[in-house]
Amino acid sequence: MADPRTARPAGAPADPGPAPRAGGARTGPRRPRLSARTRRRWLPWTLLAPALAVIATLLLAPLARVVWLSVQDYGLDNVVSGRSDYIGLDNYADLLTDRYLWTVALPNTAVFALVAVAGTVAFGTLVALLLNTLARPARTAVLGCILIAWAMPAVSGTYVWIWIFDVDDGPVRHVLQAVGAVGPGGFNWFAERSAFYAIAALNVIHHGFPFVAVTVLAGLLTVPRELNEAALLDGAGAWQRFRHVTVPILRPVFAVVTVLSTIWDFKVFAQVYLMPGGSGGNRDVLNLGVWSYVRSFANQSYGLGSAVAVLLTLMLLAITVGYVRTLFRDEELR
Amino acid sequence: MLVSALSQGPSSGADALLPTSITLDNFRFVLAEAGFLRYLANSLAVAGLTVAGSGVLALLAAVAVARFRFRLRTTVLVMVLIVQMVPLEALVIPLFLQVRDLQLLNSLLGLAAVYIALALPFAVWMLRGFAAAVPAEVEEAAYIDGCSWGRMFWSVLLPLVAPGLVATSVFSFITAWNEFILALTFMNDSDQYTVAVGLRQFFGQYTTDWGSVMAASTVITLPVMVFFLLVQRGLVAGLTRGAVR
Repeated sequence: MADPRTARPAGAPADPGPAPRAGGARTGPRRPRLSARTRRRWLPWTLLAPALAVIATLLLAPLARVVWLSVQDYGLDNVVSGRSDYIGLDNYADLLTDRYLWTVALPNTAVFALVAVAGTVAFGTLVALLLNTLARPARTAVLGCILIAWAMPAVSGTYVWIWIFDVDDGPVRHVLQAVGAVGPGGFNWFAERSAFYAIAALNVIHHGFPFVAVTVLAGLLTVPRELNEAALLDGAGAWQRFRHVTVPILRPVFAVVTVLSTIWDFKVFAQVYLMPGGSGGNRDVLNLGVWSYVRSFANQSYGLGSAVAVLLTLMLLAITVGYVRTLFRDEELR
Repeated sequence: MLVSALSQGPSSGADALLPTSITLDNFRFVLAEAGFLRYLANSLAVAGLTVAGSGVLALLAAVAVARFRFRLRTTVLVMVLIVQMVPLEALVIPLFLQVRDLQLLNSLLGLAAVYIALALPFAVWMLRGFAAAVPAEVEEAAYIDGCSWGRMFWSVLLPLVAPGLVATSVFSFITAWNEFILALTFMNDSDQYTVAVGLRQFFGQYTTDWGSVMAASTVITLPVMVFFLLVQRGLVAGLTRGAVR
């Protein structure tokens, strides 16, 4: 409680709190102290108010509204009239008994996330280890390239991957045809679910590994050099040093990076939506996010789309709880 | 090798990989005829508003949670953290209805307002680390010298938190620049397209003009790259500091 801020003179010009200006800084000892304390109570809330207001109106209120929409039969006529049509949990009943959810949308979402997260974390860690061994100028250069991959908009990145695997003109086709692996007809990578998602995974890994690399690198820089030297003296190989020295120390970093990637990869949208067939043309390749969007905006059934969105949110919330727990385990917030 | 192949190939090498000899025609077409300049201006406006708005709001909020102990502080922090996880897919339907009710569809201002909200949680979270890193002694010294809280904020806290503000702006900028779903849903009028949505125009249903797509992709990536390179030092410092916590 010994806080320097209590010593602060009252009546600051920028003071947003209810401190009486008339009290003055050096008059009675009683009133300024009281007002300073009142102000100390209100100042943080005044600072927080604008941000909280924006978050509440543009993030929390819509979240509540999507839950409300999910228990309605909300179609185009409702959009026009603004009237609501409460139908209870019917949307959820429809959703959960739909074979499509269990055989297509959910596997597409979860299996893809699993693969993409594993790939992102593994590749990002490898790059971080590489960066850690580089000298400063080389490290800065590689880091620059990595940041570009990160900064590249998902939309243009996705188009590049589509082009690479393009049926008619893509480099992959040219290479495969040159070595005789595909016939003159080429091969449509996007028609088939697993090939479609393999490309999506490449795209997402390419876009997501820089975050892992930079974060893990930051962690690596905190590993005391003596530990590695000691292990080296004991005859530990590179893998053993990584496994028994680096991993235990970086466990919290890996946890955060994995959970964050999981959350991001569960809600991949543009990378799927923009690929051929991904915006609804090929029902085999939709994931939960795209399905919700197509349901709402292409099929004009906002209620069912909302139910899908709520389902996705609940899954992410479960993962988030794990994330918050991980964060809170390392003191710091208290 | 894989690193450079992956990170450089798609962004800068795309044109070099194209089989036809490369001229600047694609760029000329994209910028002059296809109206891409308009999309760039739209995106710059939206991203600029987002950076400014989220920067100011996040700075105030971050200082509040980092420099003060108050009741519900942890609750606020956890809420900010959780809000960050909400998938955009879940918000797009209600936000569409809300923005439509406010008659802000097709408005850059409406889009920017939503982006500010989206960028805020991460910005608060990141700036909080910077504000907390300022030693209490520095703040105390300012009070002893007779500084008011407001003065202290401007002349002591702000300069020390500036590197964090740089890193945060980059992320807010990228959030707005790259965002796709909301821009796709809100902007029906092609005059109001942002670059992420405008790029779709070159991507035909049956034939795709790859030259234009790649030229436009490069044009889109350039501003972000320039921005990144300008602030790189502050950014990496910010990232590493934020990451290690």
